[in-house]
Amino acid sequence: MKEPYDGPILEITNLSISFFTRLFEIPAVMDFSCTVMPGEAMGLVGESGCGKSTVALGVMQDLGVNGKCVAGSIKFKGRELTTMGEKELRELRGSEIAMIYQEPMASLNPAMKIGKQLMEVPMIHEGASKQVAYDMAIDVVESVRLPDPKRIMNSFPHQLSGGQQQRIVIAMALMSKPSLLILDEPTTALDVTVEAGIVDLVKDLGKKYGTSMLFISHNLGLVLDTCDRLCVMYSGEAVETGSIEDVFDKMRHPYTQALFRSIPLPGADKNESPLVAIPGNFPLPHERPNGCNFGPRCNYFEAGRCDSGDVKMKPFAENDRHHSRCVKFDEIDWDAKLAAGDDTQKVMSGEVVLKVDNLKKYYEVAANAVFGGGEKRVVKANETIAFEAHESETLAIVGESGCGKSTLAKVLMGLETATDGTVTLLGQDVGNTMIQDRDTKTVSSVQMVFQNPFDTLNPAMTVGSQIIRALEIFGVGNSPAERRDRMLRLLDLVKLPREFADRMPRQLSGGQKQRVGIARAFAGDAQIVVADEPVSALDVSVQAAVTDLLMEIQRENKTTLLFISHDLSIVRYLSDRVMVMYLGHVVEMGTTEQIFSPPYHPYTEALLSAVPIADTSIVKKRVVLDGDIPSAMNPPSGCPFQTRCRYKDQVAGGLCDTEVPPMRTLAGGHEMKCHLSASILDAMEPVITQTKKKVAKKKPAAKKKPAKAK
Amino acid sequence: MEPLSGFEIFTGVIARFWIVWISMVLIFAISIKTKRKTALYGKLFDSPIGMVGFALVLFWVLTALFADLIMTHDPLGQVSGMKNKVPGTPLRGATVDEYQWYLLGGDHLARDVFSRVIAGSRIVLKIAPLATLFAFMVGITLGLPAGYFGKRIDTILSFLANMILAFPVILLFYLLVTPEIIATGLPLFLAGVMFLIPIVFMILLWQSRFHIRPKVRNKYVFWTLMIGGWIYLGAAFNMDPLVIVRNLFAGSEATWQTFPKGLVYMQSNILIVFVSVVFVNSPTVFRIVRGLAMDIQTRDYVAAAQTRGEGPWYIMLWEILPNARGPLIVDFCLRIGYTIILLGTLGFFGLGLESESPDWGTTINSGRKLLTIYAHPALPPALSLMSLVLGLNLLADGLREQSLKD
Repeated sequence: MKEPYDGPILEITNLSISFFTRLFEIPAVMDFSCTVMPGEAMGLVGESGCGKSTVALGVMQDLGVNGKCVAGSIKFKGRELTTMGEKELRELRGSEIAMIYQEPMASLNPAMKIGKQLMEVPMIHEGASKQVAYDMAIDVVESVRLPDPKRIMNSFPHQLSGGQQQRIVIAMALMSKPSLLILDEPTTALDVTVEAGIVDLVKDLGKKYGTSMLFISHNLGLVLDTCDRLCVMYSGEAVETGSIEDVFDKMRHPYTQALFRSIPLPGADKNESPLVAIPGNFPLPHERPNGCNFGPRCNYFEAGRCDSGDVKMKPFAENDRHHSRCVKFDEIDWDAKLAAGDDTQKVMSGEVVLKVDNLKKYYEVAANAVFGGGEKRVVKANETIAFEAHESETLAIVGESGCGKSTLAKVLMGLETATDGTVTLLGQDVGNTMIQDRDTKTVSSVQMVFQNPFDTLNPAMTVGSQIIRALEIFGVGNSPAERRDRMLRLLDLVKLPREFADRMPRQLSGGQKQRVGIARAFAGDAQIVVADEPVSALDVSVQAAVTDLLMEIQRENKTTLLFISHDLSIVRYLSDRVMVMYLGHVVEMGTTEQIFSPPYHPYTEALLSAVPIADTSIVKKRVVLDGDIPSAMNPPSGCPFQTRCRYKDQVAGGLCDTEVPPMRTLAGGHEMKCHLSASILDAMEPVITQTKKKVAKKKPAAKKKPAKAK
Repeated sequence: MEPLSGFEIFTGVIARFWIVWISMVLIFAISIKTKRKTALYGKLFDSPIGMVGFALVLFWVLTALFADLIMTHDPLGQVSGMKNKVPGTPLRGATVDEYQWYLLGGDHLARDVFSRVIAGSRIVLKIAPLATLFAFMVGITLGLPAGYFGKRIDTILSFLANMILAFPVILLFYLLVTPEIIATGLPLFLAGVMFLIPIVFMILLWQSRFHIRPKVRNKYVFWTLMIGGWIYLGAAFNMDPLVIVRNLFAGSEATWQTFPKGLVYMQSNILIVFVSVVFVNSPTVFRIVRGLAMDIQTRDYVAAAQTRGEGPWYIMLWEILPNARGPLIVDFCLRIGYTIILLGTLGFFGLGLESESPDWGTTINSGRKLLTIYAHPALPPALSLMSLVLGLNLLADGLREQSLKD
């Protein structure tokens, strides 16, 4: 069926894609070229709106009614795709080119059993018989490492977890042994430990089947883990392309450089070497500048050269197939050290402002909600949580979805009451006081910054009136004029222009909305701010700016920051102390130093290993967890982590199965919930090690040693 | 005088609407010119479907507005010899300053069909949008808490709504207008409750928003109570305070008959129609609002409002409701259409409105009896009803289409 082919699998030359609205043309991709050789994995990296997904859709020729390839060519195995007819394209899609999308649930048909969906692929493309298709499907389900393939084949998509669903989507893509696999942010919707498993799988399958891959991601660390080459995109253009090592270590485009400086790598520290945010905002397609698109935000900008005429991709002779779209890349001193940023003094943390002791939060879920009765089930969202937070301290709460961190936030905020235990806030027990019964001062002193910038502001109200509303409710200011003045000063505080007061939220970018959210949280001089993944939905370059802003306000106001996150890189960068949660339990707690160096809790170890780090000089020990997080409805007996723990057999007497480990205190106030003996803990090796200095000479890629679990 | 030819009837009818045409051209010209500045309304003029719908609706609204200028004769006046006369028949014994023809002929009681259609549009457009608005107020006031709080409130309210929806509409109408039922005071009681809800709604709106600024709140609540209370007493119980005051001054002999109508007054049979229409429409609105509230309350801005200690009514009325407006506006247009059909049905069954009322449903019903011999009395109101409802549906389609784009 498929002829052998040894030229480039995918060859895109000078591709331009535009979307047409009734009023004007929006160029989404301009002058984009890239080549994917057989068996090669190509990464496409860029911020949202840079056109990386449009390239993928262009390859699939699935641009919808508004989109069109206006120039250039896309050749797949030498065949031109842009002029191909619908029928031929249909034969290619799903059989020669397969695509994996971000949302696994949206890629599967919820009304069809998994088996049937998988079997469709060979039956349609190869006309295989039912039995042959079934056998193939079973094979593929096995090869994506799902347990009990027969049962999986016979279940509906909603009966599987997110990670399992994504494995099925991958299996479906592999059913027809495609030559090219396009992965559009395949793990963004998943938890880090699950993501690590998927990434491993994708890499291995790529090798096993010899499939070429186009891997689209905003996460540089992930691309480092999976790809051989990468292409950095900015505002519709490829700005730099080359092999992973070249681009990571010898970048030749200011945007790539700025991107690396704005992500928290190990070694970055909020006080000594703060992140450098990229100034300005991502240009919208119709407001792109003349010449270099990155010009207005670039440190090396030179009027007259950078803003006149189109900039073409130019090869960087030293390296293999390394191109950059910068007129000045020969002149810039790329190894120059960053001018030392303004060092800030570490603020000493003060007295205890928040003390949580033995906190429990159980939900009762009735089986039959309408008439009551029926069997009642208890969800233990939080189980015996105890911690303290001090003034002007950043306490990070780390954990994956379902670990109970949001429930904890709800109890602190007073949206839920604790089932048991005490929450002492500024000397007042509020564990059982709902927010309606708290006095204004208490309410205004604990505020929250939310995760989703597109959801955090009411779309029907102007930015200014939303902040004024918060001021009103907190009783700040005596007259409308006074409050308006205070609102304008809050906008100054979060570094937004004062004109924004009269704008509607939809006129703001994600980062700007998040700043308004922060301004609103600080309206009543909050002393404790719970930040629920405040930057995880933002683009990398904006993340740094928002993080820095939070830090700065914290320093000035001596605020206690409870930073909820699953992103350990950013936690390492900004927090003073870390609390790791798993299934409602605090499994480990200590200073950032203690958490990020051995001895680890087995879960923390896996978490650390799972987080992709965009630095070629980092060697990670690979610990991949099996399976998924158990449901909180039906937690495992004994230690919550025992189902996935790789040290379980090193604890005598099966203690892990039967008993929840007590919280024990190790040296320096480092706390941990684990049965492991002190000798095993002491023998742990660090997960992350830095092998060499960042500025490297020609060297082989850092090999990651797969030290597989069990 | 000669009877008019078909073409002359056509031009005659078109000419009668001159003021409507001029107004429509003006409104369209201004709207298209400023369409970039007027958010969703302006975007309507980007969609051909929306424009057609808007034009149809606008035509009938303007017709109702200028009905006195358009009508050729008294819609209730009978002229002997004009019974069942075909369109274009000259008016027998017309004086000089009278319009000389029955443009669309005469009906079985020798009344001018054309004038009755125009007069009917006024009745329809007076009741339908207002009744729909009331249905929305009731549906929103009950739907928001059901969706937001959920649990028991939701169970009870949804159960009630389902019960009303499960009851046959026509049967319900028959029951509500039966003299025995009216005598029990049930429709009046329903009116009393339903008309109270908008006032409660407005007070909640002000209280939730301005409870921290009592002066502003008091001002708004005072005016709501004054104006709302006046309309409430007049519309629901025919007890316009002005009438009471006037009766007081008129001395002891004065009865209700002396000044039967206040400024705010609703005929009792129209009131019953109004109440029934609100009654059957509000459960559907309730369900829509409940669903929207359930969806929107999961947003972070609702959580943000909760964490700064806002009360539930503030969240429902100021955070959730404005963001549910898109689907509600679309449904509002559609629902006016349904209400008009419902009014037609009521008129057709002779429920509620008087038998000589020129509203479209009643006229269709009276024209029906001789339909095989004389089609002209029944057709014009039927076509009018159809075009108005079609216009509203197209308008809703256009709004939906445009609100999805952005």
